[in-house]
Amino acid sequence: MKIGISGKGGSGKTTISATLARVFARQGLPVLAIDGDPNPNLGMALGLEPATLENTHSIPRSIVERIEDADGKMRMVLKDSVENIAALHGIAAPDGIRLIVGTKVENPGAG
Amino acid sequence: MGEIVSEADSVTIMDMEASLEHLSRGTVRHVDALLIVTEPYYRSLETARRTVPLARGLGISNIYAVVNKFRSDEDAKLVTEFCRNNDLDIVARIPFDDDVTKADLIGKSLYDFNKASPVVKEVEHLAVYLRENVPVNGSSASKHLSKPNC
Repeated sequence: MKIGISGKGGSGKTTISATLARVFARQGLPVLAIDGDPNPNLGMALGLEPATLENTHSIPRSIVERIEDADGKMRMVLKDSVENIAALHGIAAPDGIRLIVGTKVENPGAG
Repeated sequence: MGEIVSEADSVTIMDMEASLEHLSRGTVRHVDALLIVTEPYYRSLETARRTVPLARGLGISNIYAVVNKFRSDEDAKLVTEFCRNNDLDIVARIPFDDDVTKADLIGKSLYDFNKASPVVKEVEHLAVYLRENVPVNGSSASKHLSKPNC
């Protein structure tokens, strides 16, 4: 099940995203959390220690490609599947959650 | 992201950027459900309501509002009335809780700070609701079996 969480800044979407991730993980489900906010702070909300957070990084630019949409807008897409990216670049978060910090990065949908 | 969502027993949670722009750029195109976090006042609910047709246009059929920072009976009245007058499914009412701010101030997750927080309790109900009502990749589970808060 893939769940997108949107909402205005300050609405509390990151707290709800993180808490929902922890709750699902505690129920024994494998959970992948993707931080798509340009000002990423899902890691802290998930319970990562500040020291760990300092060493986290966004998805490397090398696996991101810029493409032009039909309407002429540029957008970023991933060159690899989310599974592979989670395995290679995911950060281990509490309760077995894998976290990807993918600021301004989109997936082409190929999976 | 097809492989991940095809596994009914795994969960991917995407914390999206704040603006509605991502909806037109397609980031959320492949989600099984979209949760729109909103606060219990008119303009915020109105913004959530306007997001629904955009999301539907992207083919997302399970779109829910999560009302956050719920404080009073007045909030309850407003949300219930708004819900009745508009095509907006509200699946969770998360109460305002000072512990969210307290946890944030010391750099902790709410879950680690206070598992007994009413916020955590409501999110647990939300998780159950999503597992029971959101069909994954065309599975036959029927949707909108119930609207717990409407």
